[in-house]
Amino acid sequence: MRSVIFIVLGACALLALPHGLSFSQQEILVFLTINILLVSSYRLLTLTGEWSLAHVVIMGVGAYASALYSKELGVWVPVSILLGGATAALMAVLLSFPLFRMKGFYFLIGSFAAGEIIRLLWKRFRDPFGGPKGIKGIEPMPDFSIGIYDFDFFEPVSYYYLSGVVVAVCLWLLWRIERSPVGLTFHAVHWQDKLAEASGVNLRAYRTLAFAIASGFAGIGGGLMAHYVGTINPNSFDVDLMVYVLTWAIVGGTGTFYGPILGCVVLTVLNEIVLRELGFEQMRPLIYGLIMILSILFLPKGLESIVQHLATRRSEKGVKDRRAAE
Amino acid sequence: MLSKIVKPGLTRRTFLQSTAAAATASSLPRLAHAQNNVIRIGFLAPLTGAVAAWGKPGLDGCQIWAERVNAAGGIQLSDGAYQVEFVAYDNEYDPAKARTGATKLIREDGVSFIMMLGGDTWPGVQPVADRTGMLFSTLLPSDLSPDTTTLIAPAEVHPIYNVTGVEWLAETRPELKTAVMCAQDDALGLPSVATYLAAFEAAGIEMQDDPLLFDPATTDFAPVVTRLMSSNPDIVCLDTCYSDYVHPICEQLFQQGYEGQIISCTADFYDQIIAKTSKEFMEGFLFQFPDFDDPALNSDQVNFDDPNGFFAEFNKRYPGQWGAVSWEYAAIMDLWKAAAEKAGSAEPDAVIAAMKEGGTGKHAFGDARWWGTELFGIDNALVGDWPVVAIENGKATIKEFRSIPAWYDKHGDLLVKHMQAYDQMWDQR
Repeated sequence: MRSVIFIVLGACALLALPHGLSFSQQEILVFLTINILLVSSYRLLTLTGEWSLAHVVIMGVGAYASALYSKELGVWVPVSILLGGATAALMAVLLSFPLFRMKGFYFLIGSFAAGEIIRLLWKRFRDPFGGPKGIKGIEPMPDFSIGIYDFDFFEPVSYYYLSGVVVAVCLWLLWRIERSPVGLTFHAVHWQDKLAEASGVNLRAYRTLAFAIASGFAGIGGGLMAHYVGTINPNSFDVDLMVYVLTWAIVGGTGTFYGPILGCVVLTVLNEIVLRELGFEQMRPLIYGLIMILSILFLPKGLESIVQHLATRRSEKGVKDRRAAE
Repeated sequence: MLSKIVKPGLTRRTFLQSTAAAATASSLPRLAHAQNNVIRIGFLAPLTGAVAAWGKPGLDGCQIWAERVNAAGGIQLSDGAYQVEFVAYDNEYDPAKARTGATKLIREDGVSFIMMLGGDTWPGVQPVADRTGMLFSTLLPSDLSPDTTTLIAPAEVHPIYNVTGVEWLAETRPELKTAVMCAQDDALGLPSVATYLAAFEAAGIEMQDDPLLFDPATTDFAPVVTRLMSSNPDIVCLDTCYSDYVHPICEQLFQQGYEGQIISCTADFYDQIIAKTSKEFMEGFLFQFPDFDDPALNSDQVNFDDPNGFFAEFNKRYPGQWGAVSWEYAAIMDLWKAAAEKAGSAEPDAVIAAMKEGGTGKHAFGDARWWGTELFGIDNALVGDWPVVAIENGKATIKEFRSIPAWYDKHGDLLVKHMQAYDQMWDQR
């Protein structure tokens, strides 16, 4: 019962959230919501022990595919976003053939190379990818009304509600996957790969599965991004953004489901709102880097370790209180 | 009924209402500004990252411009004098951040005009411009299209002015007959490639090879330069390369023993290139952006106020930071100020109407005309004379002002041909 109340209160808070923000903060909230899906999907891949540098490019595959499906083939935008996710997952399956011949550091470098090849293909083939300038005039999400609220998807509040629902569903699916036997196998592939293999687990198949699922959700995030901004180009999915994703995951911590989300929220708010509002517009990269170094030095297990510490203290206090009462 | 109340759609009217409401309800400091008659101008350009060199020096120049204008009494509108204040947003050359920045500047900061670098960031901002009717400027006229009538290119007609350098070179050094070219393969490089190809063809200079397009992520320019030099050209053209490319390419040309003519759109921070190469190597390097201490800028045709003083003040505050854009945003502000004062209002519609009245305007380098229907689909680029600049004895020197429209009248068909070949016409973009 308590958890239901928490969920309802949380949903109400998220519904009310954009109305307490300024216009530009509402815009940032939209991108933050999409980035939460990006970093959460990335965590699913890391469960198998592999860290990819192509995740943002895979997001771009979803974005390009969704943009092209809607623009060139006239596919309805919500469907094209889902198809964009499916295309990204399919691309991951194709990439898995060469990439999962490698492990660890070699996989990391291989994934970077694969991502760069995809980006070069976008640049090289002006038809259909638009070359270096990318694709402009991407179909926006069609507006609609539900009686008490008119959804105008140019407006960040409307798009936040849409992307919030999509991301919430995706996060729930990711969470369910992680707690399913498949998710437990992902953990086993990472921590006990020899034992898992001896038990009949096909390590490569499970790595491919994690890669494809993570890429599918990243592709949906790319589709959401493309149909909001209305333009994409190869630089929108370059290694700079990948570094941000890695930073969110590392600073937040990847031990828990909420760790990367925490990192993404805290660092985005810090970088895009706090530092800009404090007038450190041009010093943000410097301060951002400094904070990252400090967090790694003093919070090696990420921001999630603070939450875990507080939760542990609270439960210990509860045990003590109960004992005292007895 | 309720749907009417909570309808979030942004029209011009709701934009103005929401801006006013936001200013009144949530920003007391802004109210104080309004009472003190302050006009806010948005500056939406990259201030950090790889393209910051074409944003940050422009903002620095604007601050000097604002201090000068405010000290002289500000902007005179029909209801009194207004001080001017710049509000900057670092878009990191990212379309999504540019959209966020445009929203902030318009709906929270209440700016009357927004200056942008343009390029990759403009498509992200375009829907905001179309919805709000805000007046925007870009340094890249390739952003212009008939879809957005409130986007103007009043300072820089990149890359069309590059024709003046080639034309001058062909006339003063007719012995140069062959050229090669390299450029980064992006929105800035490609239209410039088409322009240089047209200019070389018009000048009777033969291209020895197709333009060498390199990836913008390139950091090692040794192979690029080796290939450029392999055909022993008379001229090496660096197109509109970012300064991060111009510097290493020049270094490589120097190290690999090139002794011919170099022509480039820009040579930002050329003193650093000279330091890395030699004064002799850079002698005669031709580009398009003067230092504003050049005596030629004191001629009557130049409309930029006290260019020498502006340059001196800029270098005093930001030594070694003078670049192609240091004066351009300030020059746009000169035009905007004149138009606002003429209209007696800072309203975007009134300002653009006053600015384009009579089809002519006072460009920084002389009187010019609003132009561009053939290339951009709309006459929103202010085009006139442009300087040809050469490095002489380690210092940028204006050799001559040349007319862009005069060149276009003679060779416009060549430019259109090459622009079409690179899919750079407005209806191909």
